[in-house]
Amino acid sequence: MANYVMVLDYKNCINCKACEIACKEENGILLGADKHRIWVGSNNPKGEWPNLDIVSASFLPSQCQQCENAPCEDVCPTHATYYDENGVVQVDSDKCILCSYCMVACPYDARYVDDRTTTVDKCTFCSDTRLARGEVTTACQNTCPTKVRTFGDIDDPDSEVSELLRTREHFSLKSNLGTKPKLFYLT
Amino acid sequence: MDVGISRRRFLKGSAALTVLGGGTIGLTPLLGNEEEHHEAAAIMTKTSTKEAKLVPTLCEMCVNKCAAIARVEDGVVVKLDPNPLFPKSKNMLCPRGNAGIQALYDTDRLKRPMIRTGEKGKGEFKEVSWEEAYDAILNGTDKFPGMAKILDEEEDNRSSFLFCAGEGMAEHTFKMFYEAFGSANWLNHASICLQTVASAYGVTMGAYPQVDFENAEYVIMAGANRAEAIVTPDTMDIFKRTKGRGTKLVCVDPRFTNTAAKADKWLGIKPGTDLAFVLALTYVTLDEELYNKEYVATHFNDFELYREHILSKGYTPKWAAKITGLKESDIYEIAREFMAHAPRAIYYPGRRSTFAKNDFQLRRAMAIFQALGGGIDTKGGLVFGGKLALGEHKGVVPMYYQARERAVNKNKQNDGYDHCVVVSGGGSWIAWRNRFLENKMPYKVRGAFIYKHNPMQNMPNTEKTAQMLKKMELVVAIDTMPSDTVMYADVVLPECTYLERTDPVFSFGGVEPAIAQRNKVIEPMYDTKPLNEILYGLTKKISKPLFEITKKHDMFLQDEITASESELDENSTMTLAELSKQKEETMYADEFDLTKVFEHSQEEVNEHMVASKHGEEAVKKLKEHGIFYPNMDTYYKQLGENEFQYYPEKEKSYSVNGGAPKTPTKKIECNLANLASKGVDPMPTWRDEYNFKVPSGKFKLLTGRHAQFTQTGTSNNTALHDLMHTNYIWINEKVAKEQGIAFGDKVEVSSASGKTIIRAYPTQKIAPDTVFFIHGFGEESERLTMAYKNGGCDNAVIEDNIEPVYGAAAMHETNVEIRKV
Repeated sequence: MANYVMVLDYKNCINCKACEIACKEENGILLGADKHRIWVGSNNPKGEWPNLDIVSASFLPSQCQQCENAPCEDVCPTHATYYDENGVVQVDSDKCILCSYCMVACPYDARYVDDRTTTVDKCTFCSDTRLARGEVTTACQNTCPTKVRTFGDIDDPDSEVSELLRTREHFSLKSNLGTKPKLFYLT
Repeated sequence: MDVGISRRRFLKGSAALTVLGGGTIGLTPLLGNEEEHHEAAAIMTKTSTKEAKLVPTLCEMCVNKCAAIARVEDGVVVKLDPNPLFPKSKNMLCPRGNAGIQALYDTDRLKRPMIRTGEKGKGEFKEVSWEEAYDAILNGTDKFPGMAKILDEEEDNRSSFLFCAGEGMAEHTFKMFYEAFGSANWLNHASICLQTVASAYGVTMGAYPQVDFENAEYVIMAGANRAEAIVTPDTMDIFKRTKGRGTKLVCVDPRFTNTAAKADKWLGIKPGTDLAFVLALTYVTLDEELYNKEYVATHFNDFELYREHILSKGYTPKWAAKITGLKESDIYEIAREFMAHAPRAIYYPGRRSTFAKNDFQLRRAMAIFQALGGGIDTKGGLVFGGKLALGEHKGVVPMYYQARERAVNKNKQNDGYDHCVVVSGGGSWIAWRNRFLENKMPYKVRGAFIYKHNPMQNMPNTEKTAQMLKKMELVVAIDTMPSDTVMYADVVLPECTYLERTDPVFSFGGVEPAIAQRNKVIEPMYDTKPLNEILYGLTKKISKPLFEITKKHDMFLQDEITASESELDENSTMTLAELSKQKEETMYADEFDLTKVFEHSQEEVNEHMVASKHGEEAVKKLKEHGIFYPNMDTYYKQLGENEFQYYPEKEKSYSVNGGAPKTPTKKIECNLANLASKGVDPMPTWRDEYNFKVPSGKFKLLTGRHAQFTQTGTSNNTALHDLMHTNYIWINEKVAKEQGIAFGDKVEVSSASGKTIIRAYPTQKIAPDTVFFIHGFGEESERLTMAYKNGGCDNAVIEDNIEPVYGAAAMHETNVEIRKV
């Protein structure tokens, strides 16, 4: 039993997208630009050549925020979306009826359709692959060249994520919505 | 490329249909150009909890050789993970490294040996057995002559065959074949790669150095793009420390790259004018006496001469501002900041091909500027690093008296070609090609062996490369993929991919040196083989017949193996003929038996090379963990989820030469007097012809690399296409608007060399007189499902400009026209 969170030192991100492929290879995600559990958002620099604004050019790695108060879980009519014992938002593909309410409800655009299982799928923190094998990292964290991500149990005060959140300033995405995301971005 | 799309928006369109269609595996086109979209079967196998075999290997998706661990379930490679033990790659795999599985399971792979049946270049082949392929190489077919005929007609001039190779761990194995064969014509990737940077740093400070980004406080990265052209460990080390976190990174680039986005300051310089920028930095440093006086007094040759040269030529920031388009104040600021942080300041040497014809001088100026701050062979500066020894693997180098020398001009002025003053070991590819086409060779070159190399895509002016390959009477290509170059082969020998072979063990020098080994993960698929086995089979076929040809034409050899009466002693029962026969057999076995080079498996050779220096334990470590260095068991520690210790701080090789350069004189060489006699500036000097000029209506074409693709080796990879389907040409947004070009529009790019079609990406990230697209797209081989005619091919357009010192290809000297089609 754990309470998994992810801390992202997002300024390290160089938008190489190693995490995207590692996720697909690990979790057997179908190819296709609309089929991804994780992604890197990018902002082009503002301004006109050559007066371009460095600060406005940024890369923001993202994925399911594993909300403690997840809108996708709220709206699911068949209870296909549920919390597992580690606080990870999961989907039961037997119960999913592809109504896509969750896709509409998710403020982070983190849900996609898996055509093989006909399920509205999402990031599971590699629960049924790496974590099930007893590994302690996710595929995206492990492969990252500039080490953006740290993954761990926030209920363990000695964990690296707990230490990072105690000592570094951070924010979460769209915190005003009250979703209580478990992805934290370091500033 | 930021091609964003909301899933909800997407769902309204095609995704819902995909759901109904069910099981449609493939890529969803973002640009609505379905007619061009190539679908390919891809294996995305979810990893499981069942028992798996974990094999340590080294990546070959680019040149870096990062350490990976392959997860094999039921004989299938399902995942590649980073191997944390390797100090060079520090537990990371980039997107290409992750996509290595798709290179292994690419259904377009070369599967069996082939020989040409149709017109050369058309890609018409029949699959044959290895024996038939070897026989075709030796004896030819009705379509092409064999090696025996060519060598016999050329009277055993071994140099009538060209050998060329791309970069790779087995390049050395191929070179041993070249040496045993006895040709003098060797061309590798150097002249389209590091030739001028490596040589200029070599002659100036004695070596092409590495960098210590982990401890640098100030970094100038000019004409290098580490956020996209990933180099380990540089990429991982620098970007954790920029943006006010330890290192100030100044990015100087004619494009706003991802490196610019991660830098603390970015300067959009005019292409090809970096030399003026460095000369002005040097001017400020000398004029304001900011340099490290102690270092200069101890470690410089001809400092006063250089000082006088820079100051008297008036290389002021004001002068450079006009040439480079940069602000005078920025140049002052950077010079002062750099020297204030020196020696923990780095002018990044970079790792790239030659862009401008002045590249050799640029690199010299950079090396000297770096040295003025004293940041050489020291923590936080440029480092030479340590290196662990490996045993030798001996080759066979027979003496062929009939083999002609390398075809270079030798006279007072020149020991290079007409186009360049020096020809180094790797040769000048395009200068050689052009001489060959212009019939300037002193003898006939009629055949070529090409290993893991794609000159049809790599070399500026594709049309000329095609002519060269057509003119070659026998072309043998060894490769994993049916590349554009393979289409011009007469005989194709399929190599297995890097995950199916053990490659020569390699020692990686640096601050934290280590030995690493690429171990075979699974047995070779189809009828493919590792290079070592391919060459063993080939030499078994050709070694004896080629010896017969040497015997026929080589009078010295005939003399040596012909017995004379005096050699028969009284009691001998042998006849003269028998003794001659015996002498011939001994001569063959001792000196001409080419199979000897390849008779041991790569695993056996590696074991010998490692055990002879580091013992059996090291051999075991390399097999089990892929990595070895002394005291690894005690030194290596995982410090955190993302942090590792490889060597304790005091054991790191920051300084191996007492801070001195590695030149024979142990000094920085400011003035290379011997070059002056060859018409090369002995000290970095700005010339008017270096000024950036683009005729009205044209654009300077820049090319470069990308985090998701490596040159042409990855052009057919389905997983990488998933990230970026094609390449785009960057055009300044205003210019594009004026010309009515919108995102995704097709444009034709043309130059004196040729033309190519590519889609447009209007952006503010490039100047109005410049365009850019990444290298490695637009292949013409129909056998490449994903890559065939996908995107634009830069080398179809880049003109064959030859850099004047080492004959490197100058990639950014072409002006192009663009028009919407």
